[in-house]
Amino acid sequence: MRPLPYHRPGTVDEALGLAGSLPGSRFIAGGTDLLVRLKGGAARPSALISLRGIDELKVTDIGETARLGAAAPVADLLDNEALMAGWPVLGDALGEMASAQIRSSATLGGNLCNASPCADSAPALLVLGARVGLRGKDGERVIPLEDFFEAAGITQLGAGELLTHVEVDRPPAGLQGIFFKKKRVAMDIATASLAAAAVIRDGVCVDVRLAAGSVAPTPMRLPATEAALRGHAPTAERIAAARRIAEEEVSPITDLRAGAGYRRRIVGVYVQRAMNALVAMSEGGG
Amino acid sequence: MDLRFQLNGHEVSCSLVGSELLLDVLRRSLGVLGPKEGCGKGECGACTVLVDGRPFNACLLPAAEVHGRAVTTVEGLAPAPGELSPVQRAFVEAGGIQCGFCSPGMILASRALLDRVPDPTDREIREALIGNLCRCTGYSQIIESVQRAAELRREGDS
Repeated sequence: MRPLPYHRPGTVDEALGLAGSLPGSRFIAGGTDLLVRLKGGAARPSALISLRGIDELKVTDIGETARLGAAAPVADLLDNEALMAGWPVLGDALGEMASAQIRSSATLGGNLCNASPCADSAPALLVLGARVGLRGKDGERVIPLEDFFEAAGITQLGAGELLTHVEVDRPPAGLQGIFFKKKRVAMDIATASLAAAAVIRDGVCVDVRLAAGSVAPTPMRLPATEAALRGHAPTAERIAAARRIAEEEVSPITDLRAGAGYRRRIVGVYVQRAMNALVAMSEGGG
Repeated sequence: MDLRFQLNGHEVSCSLVGSELLLDVLRRSLGVLGPKEGCGKGECGACTVLVDGRPFNACLLPAAEVHGRAVTTVEGLAPAPGELSPVQRAFVEAGGIQCGFCSPGMILASRALLDRVPDPTDREIREALIGNLCRCTGYSQIIESVQRAAELRREGDS
């Protein structure tokens, strides 16, 4: 790979200034996707602006809201005990991401900004109701992650705008979660994935959140499936009905990894497995 | 830029061109040939190095990012010339090495695991080595090697 000019600013303002003054430049965080695309000729930026030297983008602050720096390596998030203890599903999803080597480099911000339908972190963050902070030269805005994704590879991010952090409110007491990812071999990207979280109290699904990956142009919540479960007892019949709704609710494509019909079926199976597991967890936990 | 970092316990410096990757700096500028270029895409792990103790794919790491940090390659594991570290010894004894191309990366990824989890299960070993491909051994001996390395380290072998 022919070396490109490589800038390593120390602040977000400096990074935004550089982006404005270097036409054709790209921000780079962990680089685990962008550098592969550079080597293959699929991306041809004029210069790279590294975000890895910007401390304010790496700080993870855990309070009533978890504020996750967009350029913090995934391995840092997995090592954060307060985050892992208080926010279910997230650790399961991040721990499944690629390999230890990739997790040392890869960042949450990079995973989300790539806006791949199969982004491993997205379904978990969607069920947790995450918001993303975006900063440009005109100021900062915070929007729901659900609105951030527009289409495969396309986000709300404007030119010269940076994703600075991800915010996730502390989940309600009793919320338990689980993550499933269908892949053929280790390191494979997901053929389909599902993050599920629920509060099941006195035999009733008080709260239920489901989000799927690799089954639509963007990672998506499954509102119709959730509505079929919310406020009801998670009986076998109820869960089976939810499974059928989930299979209809997603809109997968056929590609080299799997057929659309297979993907629908996997999502349905995952909804069923997830709900069964969450029921068992709620009984086990009292 | 003038790149300075700690390589296997010694301060090194060299000139760096833009986004040049750590793997190229190690192999071409510094003559450190332990890290290998396999796929060049972060899939095979032959280029694995440790940066401040964590495993990285040196083929996807701009060298500028290790400025001021501590890099360990397989050359830095042995306690003295002619000796082997416990993990290296275990790979030799348990037959975790055949052609040897993946070995530096396997050994460093194993070392990073054992530093965090001194007594790993087979499953933990397999998960820690997901990013390292071996086309010779079939992996069973590699898993045994890491178990053996954990034993040697517990016995305080140097």
